[in-house]
Amino acid sequence: MNSRYIDWIWHIRGSLPLAAQQSSDDAFDRLAPLFHQTGTHHTRDNDTLTFSKKDQAAQDKMSIFDGGVLQFEKGMSGPVLRYNLKSRVLLFCFLAPLLFLFFAQATIVIGKLESPTDQASGKEKAEKKPEAPRQNAIDTFLGAPAPEKAKDDKTEKSKDEDNKSSPTSAYVFAALFAVLYGVGRILEAILIRRLFAKKLLGS
Amino acid sequence: MDGIRVGKRLIGTQAPVTVGWENIPRVEGGPVKQFVFTWFQPTVLFALIAFWYYAPNSIAKASTAIGIGIGFKVLLLALEWVNPRYESWRLTWKELVTDLFYVGLGYTLLNMIEKYIGSDAVIEAVQQSFDWDKLSWFTGLPLLLQAFVISFMFDFGQYWMHRGMHNWYPLWLPHSVHHYITQLNINKGAVGNPVELFLIGIGIGGFFDFLPRAVLLAGAIGMAVGTYQHINVRFNTPRWWRFLFNTTEHHSLHHSQDYEATRSNYSNSWIIIDRMFGTCIDGEAELLGMEGGRRMSIREQMTFPFTEGWKAIKARYGKQRFEDAAAVPAE
Repeated sequence: MNSRYIDWIWHIRGSLPLAAQQSSDDAFDRLAPLFHQTGTHHTRDNDTLTFSKKDQAAQDKMSIFDGGVLQFEKGMSGPVLRYNLKSRVLLFCFLAPLLFLFFAQATIVIGKLESPTDQASGKEKAEKKPEAPRQNAIDTFLGAPAPEKAKDDKTEKSKDEDNKSSPTSAYVFAALFAVLYGVGRILEAILIRRLFAKKLLGS
Repeated sequence: MDGIRVGKRLIGTQAPVTVGWENIPRVEGGPVKQFVFTWFQPTVLFALIAFWYYAPNSIAKASTAIGIGIGFKVLLLALEWVNPRYESWRLTWKELVTDLFYVGLGYTLLNMIEKYIGSDAVIEAVQQSFDWDKLSWFTGLPLLLQAFVISFMFDFGQYWMHRGMHNWYPLWLPHSVHHYITQLNINKGAVGNPVELFLIGIGIGGFFDFLPRAVLLAGAIGMAVGTYQHINVRFNTPRWWRFLFNTTEHHSLHHSQDYEATRSNYSNSWIIIDRMFGTCIDGEAELLGMEGGRRMSIREQMTFPFTEGWKAIKARYGKQRFEDAAAVPAE
């Protein structure tokens, strides 16, 4: 299978029309500051600039990219900058929902496996504490609600334990990362295009 | 760099830090902004205490606390946007994804594992091996006192665990990953090697039988104070607050690139514990992290304690050491 069908997940490609008289040297000179960042290595070969990044700083304007190629091309309607940028974090964010869905399934399976023993130990505990906790006179005076009876407290506790075995939070995070991927894939493509345009076309 | 003498220590010889409240900038802007960012912290703290004190039993539940916690974090994310402490700590999409990944692990995988081998399991084991009914008089104490005792005891345990992490290499290894963060944002507290989260989660506060409402109150105090450790917002924090509680300023110094500065401000909420043991430094730092601010990838964050631990074991017990020892002539 041609990898181009799926590599859009972690690749951002695009092109930017340049000013008619702009040369490749001038274009790459203008972009050079972007590649003079911590952990960034780049090479220029005629009309092509190749770069790679490692441990890039959080505030690096190209921090989401780990490598890529920028090419200066002379088209019919004038020079064009084409770019193909790779991002591991985009791929990570794309796969993260699957990881959290796996956690959700694992929670369900583990919950099913141990639910009979939990109920048994719950019964043992219920026999131990029959009394309701007493309230301090200061709290009564200040009007704080009286503490609930121990029985209600138990059911609350077991509810909390049920929450710990619930897959809901894993589903929420799976959805959150799916949304974050969509936002990031669109937003970062816009931001990098805008950044290149600002450097290349700005005065 | 000359550094600044604080007691017997020289702070800021390796990276710039600010020491002393008089040197820390205040909120800039109009009177409304000044007002909001001066009163926000105490208002939220007292509002939350009042809420958990008076909320009916049907509302005073852990699920409400989780809801409030999430809402509070979203609000603080908005404040980060409006009034950042430093432009160099701006939240980017990549930082948000990384931070939320660790928050997600905390809510799912770690939650699951903690039930069996983490703090939940330890607390249950201890509670079953002793007759804790002898301590049931705790539940008869005034609610706010119980809440304070829970919060302070838990923090006291965390203080020593955290201080231990900075002083004993096997504990430092899992904690070191958290010190590779290069900026403070709302969810940065969750970033670190998962092994650390088991260690830091083991406090002593959970062993006693308190009223559930007192536990919720203590949690609210922890949230309304501890959350500000990792945040990119400038506040005019009141004097009494920064004397009692940990602040972004204190914690930024703890995360500084200056080694001596990182050996301070270990507590979670109650900075007064640091004052008690002489480890408190009042100040702040902008340049954070390790190795000159190298940002670690998630992959390295996951493996770092193990690879570094292996290197340390090899250096100590490995073949090379004996070969080197043999090469040195005996005198």
